[in-house]
Amino acid sequence: MATVDKINEEIDLEVKNFSFRYAGSETNSLKNVSLPIAKNKVTALIGPSGCGKTTLLRSLNRIHDLYHGNKYFGEIKFEGHNILEEDEDLIHLRIRIGMIFQKPTAFPMSIYDNVAYGLRLQGVKDHKTLDIKVAEALKGGALFDEVKNRLHDDADSLSGGQQQRLCIARAIAVEPEILLFDEPTSALDPISTIAIESLIKSLKDKVTIVIVTHNMQQAQRISDYTAFMYLGELIEFGKTSKIFSNPDEDLTKQYIGGKFG
Amino acid sequence: MTASTKRKIINKFILSLSTLFAIIGVAFLFWILFILLKNGLSALSLNMFIEDGAPPGSDGGLRHAMVGQLILAIGATLVGVPIGILAGTFVREYGKKSPFADLIRDLSDIMMSAPSIVIGTFVYALLVAPTGGFSGYAGITALAIMMVPIILRTTDDMLGLVPNSLREAAIALGAPKYKMIKDVVYRGAKVGILTGILLGIARVAGETAPLLFTSFNSNFFETDLAEPIASLTVTMFNYATSPYEDWQSLGWGAALVLAGFVLGLNILGRIWLSLNHITRKKILKKRKR
Repeated sequence: MATVDKINEEIDLEVKNFSFRYAGSETNSLKNVSLPIAKNKVTALIGPSGCGKTTLLRSLNRIHDLYHGNKYFGEIKFEGHNILEEDEDLIHLRIRIGMIFQKPTAFPMSIYDNVAYGLRLQGVKDHKTLDIKVAEALKGGALFDEVKNRLHDDADSLSGGQQQRLCIARAIAVEPEILLFDEPTSALDPISTIAIESLIKSLKDKVTIVIVTHNMQQAQRISDYTAFMYLGELIEFGKTSKIFSNPDEDLTKQYIGGKFG
Repeated sequence: MTASTKRKIINKFILSLSTLFAIIGVAFLFWILFILLKNGLSALSLNMFIEDGAPPGSDGGLRHAMVGQLILAIGATLVGVPIGILAGTFVREYGKKSPFADLIRDLSDIMMSAPSIVIGTFVYALLVAPTGGFSGYAGITALAIMMVPIILRTTDDMLGLVPNSLREAAIALGAPKYKMIKDVVYRGAKVGILTGILLGIARVAGETAPLLFTSFNSNFFETDLAEPIASLTVTMFNYATSPYEDWQSLGWGAALVLAGFVLGLNILGRIWLSLNHITRKKILKKRKR
């Protein structure tokens, strides 16, 4: 059985007895996972490749629904309401729970239009409002000073690290309550990585953050809580300081100590 | 002889051989262009562009055929492009790997290699025989049928080049699927899809067989689609096989104009494709003002 420490925080998302099966698979890729996601904190999901951490993250905004035949079991509660229900308004859910991907996903349009995209989807048409919100989001994404003179250049003209910050700006422009990061720095150089990490730390005043990372130092640097997963199961969840210094489970100890992974 | 010099000689030999055959391959294109220019240029005159068809010996032109050809090509494009793009979108974005989508893909490949005269016969049976007359509508239908599979497959392939991560990113921002396709996927595949359209137009613009039984031909200036309409291809065939020297010369002129049109379309498409990346930034900047 997994060790899930009780936490004394306001809970934003609660994963309860959650299992997940990919289309065409005979077995569940996630098995009976339960953990809380604390509000305005950074929760890191760590574990070796194939442990299900990305699968879990992608369940939180139900992006798996883009592909037919994937199945959810159990509950993921967001404000007391199970988001796995059939009639869940996915568009509304995804506005409230944003996502940043492993590789930067700048759209083939200008820097400005990228950030304005989510706002326009919500029907914001007024140019002044858009200008203000785009500038705010770019400042929030720590990119404004670098691009303020070329907002209408193609987003492709930005470096990889800048594109990733652009994606973060695009995600925060719609003011989500939760942001999901799927290994956001694995494709970036060390300097861009540091920029993204300090950005994540500064964002948690406003949003709840869940981050999947392969990099244990990164989890230690930026997260408040850590969940260690292995073979589709949650092994241990608790405060990051405790998981990395004094974990209860032997498997966690071995993984943290570099015995496998 | 050492192994190394032997290898170098073989290398040189294969290189020269493949270069030679590459040149032979292109030589035919230039040969065709040369013959066309040699015979066609002498037929080119202002008369050819402003006069309509006339009996042999009375100094006619090809205006009727050029206008007819344009009407047929534009009509086929207006019908074929939306069907092709939407069908390609269905196959790639909605059907994906389902048996139904695969069936459409296979059928479309078969359609692409279907003899064009068979398509002409089909439209004849469908539109010409029941209505009792050749018409521009029938010609447009036949050309559009030929165009759809080309555009369907290029759209399918080009949408396939847009990474899934972009689709996921749009969905994750709360975009409904149709907006994700319209705003992000089409934009990413824009250049490829437009190239497909140009190639599709170029392909049907050179067709004769599907027009023989459908729009037939006319020696008069005609813009009414309910009537038979002239085309450069059928006119070319009629004039070139006629016994009159001035008609034969006009036939060469028609061939040159048609080749110029198709070649020009291809070259334009390619230039546009290569310039696109450079000019895009400028266009975006302008849009801001």
